[in-house]
Amino acid sequence: MVINTDTKIAKILKQNPAALEAIISITPKFEKLRNPLLRKLMAGRTSIGMASKISGCGINAFFDKLKPLGFEIDDNVITGKSEEKPHLPAFFNSLKPEQIIEFDVRPLIDADKDPLPLIVEKVKSIEKGQALKIINSFEPTPLLSLLKKQGFDSYVDTIDDQLVETYFYKTGNSAVEINTGENNNEGWDNYIKKFEGKMQTIDVRQLEMPGPMMAILDEINKLPADNALYVYHKRIPVFLLPELKEKKFDYRIKEISDGEVRLLIFKE
Amino acid sequence: MFPSSPTAGLAQNTSYKVVLPFYIYGALSFLIATILLLFSSSALVQHYFHPQTLAITHAMALGWGTMMILGASHQLVPVLIEGKLYSDALAYLSFLSAAIGIPLLVYGFYHFYFGWEAQWGAILINAAIVFYLINIAVSMIKSKKENVHAVFVFTATLWLLITIIVGLFLVFNFTHNILSQDSLHYLPLHAHLGIIGWFLLLVLGVASRLIPLFLISKYHNVKILWWIYGLVNFGLISFIVIFLYIGKSWLYFFPLSAILISIIMFGFFCKKAYLDRLRKKVDDQLKISLFSVLMMLLPLLVLLIIILMMLFSVDDPKLILTYGFCIFFGWITAIIFGMTFKTLPFILWNKAYHDKAGMGKTPNPRELFNNKIFQIMSVFYLAGFILLIAGILISNTFILKFAALLLVVTAFLYNTNVFKMIMHKPKKI
Repeated sequence: MVINTDTKIAKILKQNPAALEAIISITPKFEKLRNPLLRKLMAGRTSIGMASKISGCGINAFFDKLKPLGFEIDDNVITGKSEEKPHLPAFFNSLKPEQIIEFDVRPLIDADKDPLPLIVEKVKSIEKGQALKIINSFEPTPLLSLLKKQGFDSYVDTIDDQLVETYFYKTGNSAVEINTGENNNEGWDNYIKKFEGKMQTIDVRQLEMPGPMMAILDEINKLPADNALYVYHKRIPVFLLPELKEKKFDYRIKEISDGEVRLLIFKE
Repeated sequence: MFPSSPTAGLAQNTSYKVVLPFYIYGALSFLIATILLLFSSSALVQHYFHPQTLAITHAMALGWGTMMILGASHQLVPVLIEGKLYSDALAYLSFLSAAIGIPLLVYGFYHFYFGWEAQWGAILINAAIVFYLINIAVSMIKSKKENVHAVFVFTATLWLLITIIVGLFLVFNFTHNILSQDSLHYLPLHAHLGIIGWFLLLVLGVASRLIPLFLISKYHNVKILWWIYGLVNFGLISFIVIFLYIGKSWLYFFPLSAILISIIMFGFFCKKAYLDRLRKKVDDQLKISLFSVLMMLLPLLVLLIIILMMLFSVDDPKLILTYGFCIFFGWITAIIFGMTFKTLPFILWNKAYHDKAGMGKTPNPRELFNNKIFQIMSVFYLAGFILLIAGILISNTFILKFAALLLVVTAFLYNTNVFKMIMHKPKKI
């Protein structure tokens, strides 16, 4: 596999799980990656370039460790950002203390929780002219790019290698639209948790039409009231949806890829 | 860098971007055809080979019937063959050629002027069907899954191509005498190739799939469908042979009987599916679709009378006009009404909510259109259609005008619902 500064850590780990130890050996800061939950959360959002900035280790430190594992390095894509401390942006000087909303995410990270949903909630409450100050132990690079798209200026103030303060300043009036898929109680993950141990499964991927619909309707007729039906499907069965509503069932759908869809069906 | 998984694209839906233009075009064509009808209702008391009648018929058959079917089948064929549409580009090309060609041709008929407009119109429509035929043929070859319904659709498309090639010759025959007889002589051939070969075969093939599906019926009978397929094709081919080479009126009973038996068999198929259904409550859209199955018998009854009269050398142009309008304003329009609201809401739901259905509650696809408007439309439609046929039979311009007005309202209500769905903004979840 060819990697460059933009390659996500998750892709590397997927290709070769041994890369995990190699990356952790660069600096103890990456010990967090040992935690499966944090690994899932961070690795998919972080590229080599970002990780190098967060940790303060050079990009080459990554390439040197990954090369022996069979990864090929593509030198053409080097994000040659200067490492100098950027100038203070204009908004920073005009901010009054009461316009700054502070949020320390370190306790969350230490408790192995994903801070993103809470950050998104805070971000949504920010009005024009206000700033959100995120206190963290590393530069939240994924968040920087996420919020840039939503019309935020940012400024990263690295106090020391254990304390980084990041300011997000809202410039536009538009409402923030970020979907983490996990910021409400109605989402897929929530229902999966809710019905843990109370799920029947059915795989209709091999059935010919209208087999899938028949099989699912048969199955939910037999379903105990507090259970959910987990369905492996090839596509979103749109014609099934009105039938479910009619039978007072609700559903959540997760698209895995083209031709791979999961459904969770439960009583309303 | 990342090898795609072997199942990628296997069950991919055709993009709504391919399908929607056809639906929008079809809906607007229907509105335009009814407005044309309102302004030329006096033409309907004259001979059926009247410029305005021909213009309306072609706006209905091509702009409304064919465009709606092309749109729906770009979506349905991949589902039937459990594959993927071969090319979106060919679908767009097909839409574009037909979209330009149909108004040119209709314009030519309306003014009974067969210059470059009508000729290019006919050529473009031929091109559109060739693009479509290539697209579904390659999709089917790639899928390698044989399926009786797909064979119906493919054969129907072949007949459509033959229909419009004949049509092309007829258009040129107006200005250059390329055929041995005048264009009026070949009209029955052209009309039946289209009505039986294209519309009937296609509708039977698709409806035999969709009706059990929507009824949630376990009934399945491939054998009867192959019989229907054989009978319809036999009927059409024997008609062509008799028409071109024998020309004895009484022989037409053979093709007519074959078609009649095939429709009765299809009615039997639908009845079985209906009795075996899991879904006890049948919705309005499905009711109108089932109703259209019965409506197929109406033109056949008229046709029977026409043939009987031919035996006694009585020629009644009114009956022939009734026959044509029963088909295009009756059967085909009813089936499209039913099927629009059985397909479009789902296509648009998928567009709006496929990536949101994991995050929270999503609306029922059926809520995307207004069922009240649908019901009012159905009432206007039935009244308009019955009066239209009555007006033709008794040659009354006043009734015809009134019927046309009811049909304009029908088309307006239909368009309201279609555009309501298309404009639907996804709800925040």
